[in-house]
Amino acid sequence: MSNADPLGKRLQLAGILLIIGLVVEAFCLLSAKPIAFIIFVAVGGLLIFSGVTLYLFSLISLSAIPD
Amino acid sequence: MRLEPPMFAAKLSILPATTLTAILVLVTVALVAVVVVRPGMVKTPGGKILAFIVLFLLPVLCGAMGVSTDMERSTTTAFCLSCHTMESWGQSLHIDDPNHIPAAHFQNHRVPPETACYTCHTDYAMFGTLKVKIGGLRHVYVYYFGTPPAPENIKLYQQFNNDNCLHCHLGARSFEEGATHTADPATMIAIKSNKLSCLSSGCHDVIHDIAHLKEAKFWKESN
Repeated sequence: MSNADPLGKRLQLAGILLIIGLVVEAFCLLSAKPIAFIIFVAVGGLLIFSGVTLYLFSLISLSAIPD
Repeated sequence: MRLEPPMFAAKLSILPATTLTAILVLVTVALVAVVVVRPGMVKTPGGKILAFIVLFLLPVLCGAMGVSTDMERSTTTAFCLSCHTMESWGQSLHIDDPNHIPAAHFQNHRVPPETACYTCHTDYAMFGTLKVKIGGLRHVYVYYFGTPPAPENIKLYQQFNNDNCLHCHLGARSFEEGATHTADPATMIAIKSNKLSCLSSGCHDVIHDIAHLKEAKFWKESN
């Protein structure tokens, strides 16, 4: 799969979003303060949701392409 | 009298569930990084299954575990008192006065000390926890983006619900046979229907009493 492959690019983007979201979650877990929970949900949650959605969207769009 | 800082800061420790979630998050990050570096691996059937686990199942699991861990952690006394505004309220739990309702409950473990705030300030109904969390979000908003009131001016949004007391006291001999409670049959009905507040003037009305904290005598917890 070359870098020009749209699926590969989407998977990489989804992965990067997930990594950032998970890193945010990891940092938020270190703090037991209310603001950490807000950042976890608002930033980390949004990034994880975006990454997962992009991955699922990639699967759907791939299956829509005729062989 | 110099007020001692609340003793909860030391209890802001990382819980085992948090450690477990953190390990899962780090493992997931490592596995996602493999897919990011080598996206070609998802062309094989095994790679597709791996990608599904790594890019869908594990992140969803991490998110769910993170929310669960944080929700549990948000019920702790240490969490509630982690905001500077609430320090005085934490100190009021150490007032050495048996008539002081929150302090007596906290010090005598009538409520679990590690979740003292949550135990008394949660409506024990189907959506009670959710309502409390939404109220908590409002607190965070005011704390960071508004002007938090002085500790002595902090008030409940609504009158304290008797259900929070009756959750434990209902059926207890001291409550059901209490002289004041039974003196007039209408009193008990009014208490149970939340029409007469337990914290009414003349009843159990010595609550956190933040305004007089400086004159209060404090109980020193022995460890």
